[in-house]
Amino acid sequence: MSLPTTPVNGKVEQILARLERVLEDPAGYVRQVKSDRRVKVIGWLLTDVPEELIHAAGALPFGITGGREGFSWADAHLQTWACSLARSCLGLGLQGKLNFLDGLVIPHTCDTTRNLGGIWKHVRPLPMMENYLLPRQVDRPSAKAYLTGELGRLKAKLEQCTRSGITAGKLQESISLYNLNRSLMRRLFARHVRDPETLGNRAIYNIIKSSMCMPKEEHNRLLIDLEQALSEGPRNTVENRHVRVALSGKVWEPPEIMDILDRGGAVVVADDLATGHRYIDADVSETGDPLDALAQRQLNRMPCGCFESGRRDRRRFLVDMVRKSGSAGIVFIHLKYCEPENFDYPDMKSACDSAGIPSVRVETELGNVSLGQLETRLQAFLEMIGGGD
Amino acid sequence: MAGRPPFKTADLMKKLMAEYYAKGSEAREKGVPVVWVTAVFPVEIIYAAGLFPYYPENFGALAAARKVADKLSAHAEARGYFFDLCGYARCGLGDAYAQDHPVGKIERPDILFCCNTQCGSLPKWFQTAGRFYNAPFFLLDSPMIETTPTTLGREYFVEQLKEMIDFIEVRTGRPFDMDRLAEVMSLSAEACRLWNEILDTAALRPAPFGFFDACFHMAPIVTWRGTREAVSYYRALKKELEERAARKIYPVPGERYKIYWDHIPVWPKLRWFADYFAERGALVAASQYTHSWAWKFDTTRPLESLAENYTEAFVNRGFDQRVQMKINFINKYGMDGFVLFSNRSCKPNSFGLYDKRNVISQRTGLPGVVIEGDMSDLRFFYEDQVRARLDVFFDQLEKGGGTGNQ
Ligand code: SF4
Ligand code: SF4
Repeated sequence: MSLPTTPVNGKVEQILARLERVLEDPAGYVRQVKSDRRVKVIGWLLTDVPEELIHAAGALPFGITGGREGFSWADAHLQTWACSLARSCLGLGLQGKLNFLDGLVIPHTCDTTRNLGGIWKHVRPLPMMENYLLPRQVDRPSAKAYLTGELGRLKAKLEQCTRSGITAGKLQESISLYNLNRSLMRRLFARHVRDPETLGNRAIYNIIKSSMCMPKEEHNRLLIDLEQALSEGPRNTVENRHVRVALSGKVWEPPEIMDILDRGGAVVVADDLATGHRYIDADVSETGDPLDALAQRQLNRMPCGCFESGRRDRRRFLVDMVRKSGSAGIVFIHLKYCEPENFDYPDMKSACDSAGIPSVRVETELGNVSLGQLETRLQAFLEMIGGGD
Repeated sequence: MAGRPPFKTADLMKKLMAEYYAKGSEAREKGVPVVWVTAVFPVEIIYAAGLFPYYPENFGALAAARKVADKLSAHAEARGYFFDLCGYARCGLGDAYAQDHPVGKIERPDILFCCNTQCGSLPKWFQTAGRFYNAPFFLLDSPMIETTPTTLGREYFVEQLKEMIDFIEVRTGRPFDMDRLAEVMSLSAEACRLWNEILDTAALRPAPFGFFDACFHMAPIVTWRGTREAVSYYRALKKELEERAARKIYPVPGERYKIYWDHIPVWPKLRWFADYFAERGALVAASQYTHSWAWKFDTTRPLESLAENYTEAFVNRGFDQRVQMKINFINKYGMDGFVLFSNRSCKPNSFGLYDKRNVISQRTGLPGVVIEGDMSDLRFFYEDQVRARLDVFFDQLEKGGGTGNQ
């Protein structure tokens, strides 16, 4: 399948290349930002950490999304049958690549994250290390009251760490800044769906992932420039013949998976990834008590394997997601050893089967995966759902 | 353990467990809801509400001990569940899909109650089972306690207990009886007290009872806790232990060492391990696992007391607390060394053990070893490797001299 490509203009390329560079070594990038701006940096692990609070405390939130090597550093502390995301993050820490962090927030989403903080604190303590103890049931009133309290606790810890008070006003400002970032990304994503030629899957998901590690002020500026440049660029008149696919899982790792989809003539139109729509979906309300608003967003987030909700069935959510986005099929990208995903998978698959939605599951890891095999499987799937050509 | 006269209570146990399963069927016939609960769950509320609690983890352990975990798991794996998941869950889900039931059929739940103090696998398993059986699922959420228990966490749990009681009232159409709850809690606490006195006899030198015995005798403290049956069972067992001590019947005659084991046993290899240790004059004296059921309730503030007991269990604690709790056992029983079981099935109890081993050795000066394996699935058990590690451990013990560190 060969698709004509439209040359994007220089400005667009420049911005995308810049984000790509950030993602090549996010820690190196943030270290630089830190020394330039003399700001405290608080790391966070995936997923659902309320960065707005960190930002309002005057620190720079830095989402640690793992790396490609350093696993052997983790092996003496964490069994090899932990997911590669956790092993890789811990590996980064052990290699000293995160020594610049003033703090780390670990959300409790599974048994791995629940144990990771203790190990990390023991082997490589940072000035502030906090577990973010999210409620794991999100339907009942008790969850709301508890979560608001937990956010308050986290807020106090952050204030202590940065020695600056988080006022309601500051928090509101941070929330607006983050909302803007999310809405910019959603707009760009919609544009990508309309015109998959110009940006491509890798680029749009790079935009989302880079947002996790860059200062939002800067990321927003880049995205505004990007929108501007895109609107000034040549209009893409090539007929959109891409196969529409949806993705489900935790992270789009290895990143080459997006290149494979690009090469295969697929456009990703929806997902429930922690490094995808889970990050950019749904804003925080800008009215009312800001802590309350943060809690509210968390409890109403799209379903995922880590939280129990009878109100929002993940199977139904996925089927709706595929239908609404007009996807021809869904790709489950699952990290090896990720229990929450694996427990959900068979029923999600059968829900897709019953709804007549073709699906494929690929098991991946950060670091060592056979890209050739991955490409063969995905290519075969795309040909099946796209009818081939 | 060869030649040791069997426990008289073993027969009582068989009877009691048969009765337990019979009660389940009876409940089903009478229209009493059969509900799934987890091992560390405030079952007192379930008994007080007159529902029948069923323990799927027990089913998993039984399947594992009978060495059929891989067979049951195969049915789950065929459906897309991977063998990385907790073995109990794979056995439970596998049996639901299976046509043949080598350890009897897992009970179908009318409602599923789950507390995640233990782990995140149980809620996922129960949630999945809830869809399979088309039954409602209720999660009692217990956030980790990193250092000391917080008011926030306790209040959250108490609130949820109230939500759970409301939920039960709606389902049963009966008001919940708080007096009955106090009664059940007292029975539960009494059984726990006896059970812990029994476990404590492992500190005697030589001891009439050890961890492998405890693994055998623990079924009633899990399943019958909160009833008179559990109390009389452990009374009988305690009495028998006194007799056995008087008659000098020991699991490890000529006991030279006491060993701390963490945490679950390797069920299909229970005998193998018991023999291995006994041959070396070592009594595996205690494990946090069998000590999980040590509730002390204050019936004047029942919900708060349930919350404290069920959220503060060791597995829900932070790294340092958990290390300290292990060291406390090591000191209390006068252990000579410790074995930490890195159990593929059980991430919450395994992640962190490599570092804990070093910390415990540093703080106690005792040798320790981490062994790799799985509590239920022999596909992950490499006997030669385990034996080699244990051999090295025993070499260290020998050098240390043995006969207690006190
Ligand atoms: S990828 Fe899965 S197992 Fe790994 S930290 Fe996230 S939820 Fe846990
Ligand atoms: S063995 Fe571990 S993972 Fe499995 S149910 Fe028990 S506590 Fe949970």
